[in-house]
Amino acid sequence: MIPAAVVFILMFLLKSGWLAPYGDWGQSTPLALGFILIFAALFGKQVSRLKLPQITGFIVAGILCGPYVLKFLSITDVQNLQLFDGLALSLIALTAGGEMRIPQLRGSLKAIGTMVFSQTLAIMAGFMLLGWLGRSFLPYFSGMTPGQSLAYAVLLGTLATATSPSTTIAVIMETKAAGRCTDLILSAAVVKDFIVIMLFAFSLSLAESLLSPELGMNLGSVLHVLEDIGGSILIGLAVGGGIILYLKFIRREMAIFILSIAFFTYQITHGFGFHPLLICLIAGFLVQNMSAQGDSLIQEIEKISLPVYVVFFAISGASLDLGALKAGWLFALIYVVWRGILKFVGTYWGSRWSGQNREMQRFGWAGFISQAGVALGMAIIIENEFPSWGGEFKTMVLAVIAVNQIIGPVLLQKLLVKVGEVGKKFTVNSISRFSYSGGEAASPEK
Amino acid sequence: MHAFYAFGLIILIAFLGSRFAFRRRSQLSPLNFILLSGIVYLFLGLYLGEMGSGILSEKALADLSPIINFSLGWIGFLFGFQLEHRYLRRFPKNYLGLSLFQSLSVILFGFFGSLFALWILLPATGGATRIGMAVAFGLLISLNSPTLLNAAAFSMQKKGRYYYLARFLVSVSGFWALLGLSVVTSFWHFPVTDSRSFGQGSALMLISTAFPVLLGWMFHLLTRHKTPEPDLLVYLLGLVFFVSGASFTFHFPPLYVCMVLGITFSNLTKKQENIYRLLLSTEKPLYIILLILIGALWKFNFGYEIALMVGILILVRGLGYALSFPVFEKLFGFQWKLPPKFGLSFLSFGGIGVAFAVSLHQIYSLPESDYFLSAALLAIFLSEILSPAALRILLSRIDSEEWE
Repeated sequence: MIPAAVVFILMFLLKSGWLAPYGDWGQSTPLALGFILIFAALFGKQVSRLKLPQITGFIVAGILCGPYVLKFLSITDVQNLQLFDGLALSLIALTAGGEMRIPQLRGSLKAIGTMVFSQTLAIMAGFMLLGWLGRSFLPYFSGMTPGQSLAYAVLLGTLATATSPSTTIAVIMETKAAGRCTDLILSAAVVKDFIVIMLFAFSLSLAESLLSPELGMNLGSVLHVLEDIGGSILIGLAVGGGIILYLKFIRREMAIFILSIAFFTYQITHGFGFHPLLICLIAGFLVQNMSAQGDSLIQEIEKISLPVYVVFFAISGASLDLGALKAGWLFALIYVVWRGILKFVGTYWGSRWSGQNREMQRFGWAGFISQAGVALGMAIIIENEFPSWGGEFKTMVLAVIAVNQIIGPVLLQKLLVKVGEVGKKFTVNSISRFSYSGGEAASPEK
Repeated sequence: MHAFYAFGLIILIAFLGSRFAFRRRSQLSPLNFILLSGIVYLFLGLYLGEMGSGILSEKALADLSPIINFSLGWIGFLFGFQLEHRYLRRFPKNYLGLSLFQSLSVILFGFFGSLFALWILLPATGGATRIGMAVAFGLLISLNSPTLLNAAAFSMQKKGRYYYLARFLVSVSGFWALLGLSVVTSFWHFPVTDSRSFGQGSALMLISTAFPVLLGWMFHLLTRHKTPEPDLLVYLLGLVFFVSGASFTFHFPPLYVCMVLGITFSNLTKKQENIYRLLLSTEKPLYIILLILIGALWKFNFGYEIALMVGILILVRGLGYALSFPVFEKLFGFQWKLPPKFGLSFLSFGGIGVAFAVSLHQIYSLPESDYFLSAALLAIFLSEILSPAALRILLSRIDSEEWE
């Protein structure tokens, strides 16, 4: 507590009217980075004492110190530090791919498929219903034609389907959770990311044709998405192959190597329109399942990734536009509650159909609430595609993401505690010695 | 080139460089030493920068300036972390006094020599700025690096009392120079480069010292109990970024402020081993990245003013070391006689000299800053070429058993 207070007071003094005029604030990004790194890490530790996930602490620290509350970080600082987004997302995806083992997936393929399908179906249907019925009682939909409200609803539904795999992985890593429920939530979150990306391409084309009937349905964009996904898989295989060779034959300067791979894979492939998350996921998956180097990769990532995650989540908190939340809080609240209900319905039926236990049926929805980068990215695309109303749409989505990103990690952690899987993963090596048996084999007692 | 691709290129060079360069070779030639000291990357940076091929544009370099800032802080922290009381007290007490007086004498030689040179070469420069620059040149030439001594010890496979004395002196000289750096930046605090009053300067110096002391103590509080390595890395990175960022924002040298952070922490903590492991794993690549960026920033202009200044700096440095030892030997009552040309073991500047020069260049956006950087970097480069030969002369004059 004392160190956090010391850093906070020092930053307060530096930014105060007494000292601030003497500083060159055009070059303050390293100061902002150092401050948020220490303060968010310490705040996360304090939050974990309240039995909440550390990443909630990182996010809240970011919100508090960000440009909308205490202004310790300026908007320029936040924009400069968003350079960490690509690095963090790549590391997260590499870890996620590395945590997916074929024997484990083979056992839960049906459950994953069922869960993703039922959630997507429930949410899309639910939001279409909201769009249809909402025209008469929700101000947001008032004055829209049936086609327009359907277009809105389809896009809202697609966004609502998205879950944040990065947040899911971060909470799982932090709580050292392992087991059947953990695997299902992680795998479903990752698989759903692909589904959402493809679904978004369809939804966007559908929305365009509904809002501008003269254009018709644009299948070209859908094919383009499929091309991107195919290309991403091929690049992922190449990156994974490179990592295997490096780990096998060179295996030196590991920190620089992994950080470079993560950073440049994201930046380069993103620039060419590929999907860096998918690329890193495939790469991690390949290293884990086609070589003996998988656990080494995970261990090396775990050694260096914490600073990146702290900054990533804190900056994602700092960049949440609280003004947007204030402006659209009513619809955001309805959206969050309705999405939660639909997640419950989809997860309940998905769990039942795939034969999950009662706890998963009742509480599994709590693992799919968080939202971050993918949803935000889609909102930005919508803003660009539909300039007349896209800005307002994005503001509302930002408000929703703000709420979901704060409550999502807390709910996921509570779920993992509820199903008794927290602390079951004690080391990476210990897991690799066991084949998948529902997580129990990895428990310290055995 | 976009900052991101520029960064990629630098990372690639650093990655390859740290794999293949910095290897100690059995034969200590000037070329081998230039490779070992990493100075070659300075020229690679110069080639990549605006003055060379233009691959690293000014915009890209401006975007990458936080990395320079952080690297300076990291070097300062690493340097300060080595100044641990438990380690230093193993040496005789008179070594510390010798180190102080030796540094002071070289600083004075450098100050008067460069003040005279600046008076002739840059007559239009204001009096206070000229004095500030002369102090900076004096401090610069008092810096040494242990790299050459270590390389010599490695190639000879011998370490003796002269080696340990020289090793101690080169290790500690940086402390006095960086302390002097804080005096310069406090009393000639940018943007007001006219010297400040004693009270104002002292207050600024006190702030730039108390700030890292407080944070060093805080770092100790955070890590005194069992701390997982990832957490340690977060705190270490966070503190160095925070301290170097704050010092740079307020025109203080990150090198000094982070050195104080390192000294404070290393003298409080019991986790030296863990921290060293973290620091050393990043040392080489970070140093290469810094050298490349400095090289790219360097507005190389070689005229007679710079050539003369370089010559004077090397001359007064040599004189400062050569003349001071016989005096201090008697003053500090050494029981064994120092070899007549013992000062020749102190010609290498090493990375700390480069970091010192660029630290001042980063803080002071003055017309004279480019002149200072060019003269400083060329003096460092020439010294690095001359220093192996100088050391060889010294070793040929002394009984090899005394070095053992």
